[in-house]
Amino acid sequence: MSEQIEKAFQKQQGIFQNAKVAGKKSIKNNRWYKEVGLGFKTPKEAIEGHYIDKKCPFTGDVSIRGRILTGEIMSTKMKRTIIIRREYLHFISKYNRYEKRHKNLAAHMSPAFIGVQQGDSVTVGQCRPLSKTVRFNVLKVQKKVVKGAKNFAKF
Amino acid sequence: MAPEAYANHPSAPLAIDTVYTHIQYTIAVPSMTAIDSPQKKPLSTEHQGCHYRSKRAGSGSGSGSGSGSTFTSQLLQKDEGGNYCISRDSRHKRSASGAKRAQYRKKRKFELGRQAANTKLGAKRIHEVRTRGGNRKFRAMRLDAGNFSWGSEAISRKTRIVAVVYNASNNELVRTGTLVKNAIVQIDATPFRQWYEAHYATPIGARKAKGAVKVESEEINKARSNHVQRKVEARKADAKVDPALDHQFAAGRLYACLSSRPGQSGRADGYILEGQELAFYIRKLKK
Repeated sequence: MSEQIEKAFQKQQGIFQNAKVAGKKSIKNNRWYKEVGLGFKTPKEAIEGHYIDKKCPFTGDVSIRGRILTGEIMSTKMKRTIIIRREYLHFISKYNRYEKRHKNLAAHMSPAFIGVQQGDSVTVGQCRPLSKTVRFNVLKVQKKVVKGAKNFAKF
Repeated sequence: MAPEAYANHPSAPLAIDTVYTHIQYTIAVPSMTAIDSPQKKPLSTEHQGCHYRSKRAGSGSGSGSGSGSTFTSQLLQKDEGGNYCISRDSRHKRSASGAKRAQYRKKRKFELGRQAANTKLGAKRIHEVRTRGGNRKFRAMRLDAGNFSWGSEAISRKTRIVAVVYNASNNELVRTGTLVKNAIVQIDATPFRQWYEAHYATPIGARKAKGAVKVESEEINKARSNHVQRKVEARKADAKVDPALDHQFAAGRLYACLSSRPGQSGRADGYILEGQELAFYIRKLKK
């Protein structure tokens, strides 16, 4: 398969692939997936795809619990992880006014989400630490609506 | 088990440079003599400040349970101030923004790390470690056998590990023959062959030696009761084995993958590679 790029054989932990051929099941994709809960639909690509990602919330070994946050994607340059920017207003009581602040958040993005670009809005859910800075996992992507859809977007 | 068993062996169809010198280890060198051999390992540079406290411990060979003798604390190094040398904290690392974090407290015992086991092939030598909460870990320093399972047949047998053949993380570990989880090893095929021939009453791994008389092994031809014979005949329909596995049986060596952590559990258990995984690793080995 094309997803075997690493030096070790990539497979879903826990599903046994080498059962004696009885006939039918060998053609079908023997894949495990789960629903993350909280009303989030698991994407079709997660169920039918062939990627292996142990940190994917749908086909891997992470559970979503704790906070659910949203933000805008700032960068997708890392392998399978993105940076999200969350803006908020901070109140200064002396002047009775607000100031803009933002925080960046690193979130793991499963290969189930394809065609995701900078500027899209995204919902992330808290999971256990996946790396030094990543504690969140992408659950849902809302693509940026380009007003005047006939505008030229860099392909 | 002796090398003589493989003397008449046709060259293995899989051309791999395995280190067969490990076979000599099975000539039993009782591991108790290990007490007199230096248990101190050469200190790596990172531990230069650390006192190497080596308590002479009875190596916990056997089923690993402590016989009441002292556990070894040589794996838990402390320096002169009584601080632990390997720590697993993140306070020494730079923060996500790149800022250097100041040290504001000493290392804590709950953050400790211990030296890696680097389990090698050889006569079994396992050290018991007392861990947090009074629990134990079995640090296998040397192992020679493990419980391997043949997934598609759903059986497991204890087998000798012959050689380490591939490691996805580090080629050094292959060269030194270090047993770690997910290392690809070669195991002795005889227990599985014996089971197969008793279960299916068909030969497996038939060697294509020219003019050799096909001696059906005792397992195939042993006396069976009528009822058992009927069962065995019925099983023969499912007896087909993948040709890649068949090749390996002919050579007497199977490829397997370790799935246990020898430095934690003291065991080298795993599963026999089959199907796509086997094809993947054979391709890797050919390169």
